[in-house]
Amino acid sequence: MSPLLPLVQAAPPEAAPAHEGAAAAAHAAGPAEVIMHHVTDQPFYGLPSKHLVFFVIAAVLVLVIARLAIRSYRGGRVPRGLGAAVESLVLFIRDDIAEPSIGHGEGRRFTPLLCSFFFFILVAALIGLTPFSATSTGNLSVTMALAGVSFLAQQWAGISKYGLVRHFRNLVPPGLPLWLLPIMIPVEILGMLSKPFALMIRLFANMLAGHMVITAVLLLIPLMGEVSTVAGLAMAPVSLGLALFIMLLELLVAFIQAYIFTLLSAIFIGMYAHPAH
Amino acid sequence: MDATALAYFAAGIGAGLTIMGGAAGIGRLAASALDGIARQPNAAGDIRGAMIIAAGLIEGVTFFALIVTMVLAFK
Repeated sequence: MSPLLPLVQAAPPEAAPAHEGAAAAAHAAGPAEVIMHHVTDQPFYGLPSKHLVFFVIAAVLVLVIARLAIRSYRGGRVPRGLGAAVESLVLFIRDDIAEPSIGHGEGRRFTPLLCSFFFFILVAALIGLTPFSATSTGNLSVTMALAGVSFLAQQWAGISKYGLVRHFRNLVPPGLPLWLLPIMIPVEILGMLSKPFALMIRLFANMLAGHMVITAVLLLIPLMGEVSTVAGLAMAPVSLGLALFIMLLELLVAFIQAYIFTLLSAIFIGMYAHPAH
Repeated sequence: MDATALAYFAAGIGAGLTIMGGAAGIGRLAASALDGIARQPNAAGDIRGAMIIAAGLIEGVTFFALIVTMVLAFK
């Protein structure tokens, strides 16, 4: 159940071929247009969507890393190197995210899905930091697909354990006075829908905001250069230093957001697999 | 005042209010986390984990508002 649902956001293609590393292009467009151009979807060397290309690249990279890690177990060896790194992350997901939230034996059933979420979001965010690339999770359609898969997993967790009708009856606590039902049912349904929505917006906004800030900071160089060349040249090391710092922050945010998406998915799955009422 | 000017104005004020709310919340969170670590240094790892999770969730809410202001500014 890896999240490979390619939804392409049909954003209108921009004409200026600038990118975040060299902000010295597209003077005719204002700063707002340049920033929006960097973070929205565009055609990419003839392929219709840049975000989709890097989505597929991230997915293939996750598969390759997983395969290489599995290979280091061949022959019953103790894995070293990449296999050990992947193993430590997977064990972290299983022991600290899946099992405490979903329950002791059941956490293992959902660990592959949670590992898919974690590795994909992490790899997509890290790829987005390299030059000439785009962060595919900075596209609302991609995060909508991830949140949709999480939603389906939550429903599947409840329905496979309790059956279709009882899963929805688990939403309201038993022994509830009957006049409270018209209030509880819409509230619970709304809660069920708003949880994946929040996941989607959180991931999208975090990935988007970082790139917008980096583009804006690097855009200060030509903007100051229009005032005077000396000001532009003096601005360059300041902007570059700031952009470097923000890229380091983006590294941290990539890890944190992958962890939070996975953790919240696990918590929500646990809420439907073990309704407290 | 035409609509575009009002939209930019609103976006600016919106961004300021957003950051006020977000920074206030995360500031309180950091303060209590530091208090907790100061009281029990051997619980520092757990407190740090909980702090990062809560900061991520609060920032998520902040970004909801930020998206609204960005739509106002860029459309």
